[in-house]
Amino acid sequence: MYAWPHWLALVVMTPLAGAALTPIAALLDRRSPPWWALATMTFTSLAATMLVLRVFAEGPFSYLPGGWAAPYGVELRFDEFSAVVGVICLIGWMAILFSSRYTRSLPEFASDRSPYYYALLLLNLGGMIGFAVTGDLFNLFVFLEILSLSGYALVAVGGERIAEMAAFKYLLMGAVSSVLVLFAIGFLYGMTGTLNIADVTARLGALEGPTAPAAVALALLAVGFVTKAAIFPLHVWLPDAHAAAPSPVSAVLSGLVVKLGVIGMIRTYRIYYGAGLFDLTVLNHVLMWLGAISIVMGAFFAIFQEDVKLMLAYSTISNIGYIIMGLGLATTYGVIGASVHIFNHALIKATLFLAVGAIIYRTGYRTLSDLRGVGRAMPLTSVALSIGAISIVGIPPTAGFLCKWYITLGAFEANQPLFGFVLVFGALLIFVYYIRMVNAFYFREPIHAEVTEAREVPVSMLLPTLVLASLCLIMGVLGRIPLTFIEPGVVRLLAPLGG
Amino acid sequence: MIVMLWHNIDYVASVVLFSIGLYVVIAKENLIKKFLGLNIMETAVFAFIIALGMVEDGRPPIMTGDAQGPFASPLPQTLVLTGIVVAVSTTALALTLIIRIFRRFGTIEANELREME
Repeated sequence: MYAWPHWLALVVMTPLAGAALTPIAALLDRRSPPWWALATMTFTSLAATMLVLRVFAEGPFSYLPGGWAAPYGVELRFDEFSAVVGVICLIGWMAILFSSRYTRSLPEFASDRSPYYYALLLLNLGGMIGFAVTGDLFNLFVFLEILSLSGYALVAVGGERIAEMAAFKYLLMGAVSSVLVLFAIGFLYGMTGTLNIADVTARLGALEGPTAPAAVALALLAVGFVTKAAIFPLHVWLPDAHAAAPSPVSAVLSGLVVKLGVIGMIRTYRIYYGAGLFDLTVLNHVLMWLGAISIVMGAFFAIFQEDVKLMLAYSTISNIGYIIMGLGLATTYGVIGASVHIFNHALIKATLFLAVGAIIYRTGYRTLSDLRGVGRAMPLTSVALSIGAISIVGIPPTAGFLCKWYITLGAFEANQPLFGFVLVFGALLIFVYYIRMVNAFYFREPIHAEVTEAREVPVSMLLPTLVLASLCLIMGVLGRIPLTFIEPGVVRLLAPLGG
Repeated sequence: MIVMLWHNIDYVASVVLFSIGLYVVIAKENLIKKFLGLNIMETAVFAFIIALGMVEDGRPPIMTGDAQGPFASPLPQTLVLTGIVVAVSTTALALTLIIRIFRRFGTIEANELREME
């Protein structure tokens, strides 16, 4: 069943078409948008499952929409890294289910706006899925813009006081980085005369003449994608945007959208490792250092935050630092750890944001001191939150441990023990601020009546949180599966073409 | 060096435009001006990609019975058409956000907004 070729087209088209049809569904029945969006994502998840099964069984495969052969037509290509669509579907589904109750509590969120919220969410998910599976550079740019534009709008949708400012800041930096990526794509097209990623790689490798334009294109791509991934010092848009967005949107933005910048980086690496035009040591060193600085600075800023969502947002910067550092190490272990951390961090951060969202929904408070003692009032949500916290620190039986362990191994394999120590130091800093949170929630006396009187959230919000939290534990126990799954992809990524 | 730059004057022009746009985005405080800078950057990249498709003495690539090459490359133009659509939607969203910021804070100067936050 998984061999049916059209799953790959359906996985992209379903959420995009579903987004376009959401307002129509709302015309037929005013309360249908969340269920329509859930149905759309259920079908998309089915397609994604088939695709992941197929890549597990057969390795990477392509799909040619319209039947035009690869260099002329647009190619969709599904490889091991594209398996991120599985996580996109999972978290997207959970976030939509969570939103069905959560959005009713938002200020300025009249029910006539809700179809557009779900349409934007589906567009965002569809854009991410398309970005992860496309094999064409210009298509990559179009999907990048779909996911970014819907992301900017989703930040503003909650109506927090600073939401529009945060969204505008995000839009400005995001749009500049998109323009840089488009410029780079123009460079690559000018040099090779093609837009198909595999074809660009081959022709770039056979290129005669100066390599300077290729280096400029690489620099533009790197800066563009690193901005999308919110690496220090290009992270300034992230904290406000992720803290001001409604919590299910924060889960999607923080868990998934920034990761697509990393996927873009991996695609760039594929082109340049494959072409073997020049040594990438300089870029690798830059990424390693930027990653290390992000780990420390992100964790450092997070320690001083009182607002729980801002703290989680800074923690995202820190964790993206791990991933970028793993990529920069350019050893098999490092890149495997980084790739698996893309999956695992998405699960963990979605758990944390949904749990915090549930707490904010019930109590209306969002700073550590206001939320003292909430652990006793909302036991299940707080357990999910604690599991997320343990996972993100990287304590052994949880999902965060294995990938950080692999990145550390990678640092020693690359003969860069300094970065191994940075990694452990970063984990310690992260431990400090999550301990602060757990301490406030469980061991301090509540100061607000709303906190002591808070009840557990309804099932539609509790279920996604608990499922994701248990996945954090399960992925820790079954951690070998993603590691072995991604390994052939990483080996292919690091090898020159034909080597 | 000068001769080489002169022969590639179209590329040089788009890089200059791009830098002007980037400067405006970074240096101006007014949000609308910042956004105009972004539009300049986008236009520069579109001009660059269009220039890539230029073929010396190229004809429009329309396949009729007696069509003869060399043809101009049609691909960059389709790309830029898509790019313009993207740029227009970005502009629409940005202007919406600016209107909402103005309604809430009564100003669209970035330095005054920073003080209010």
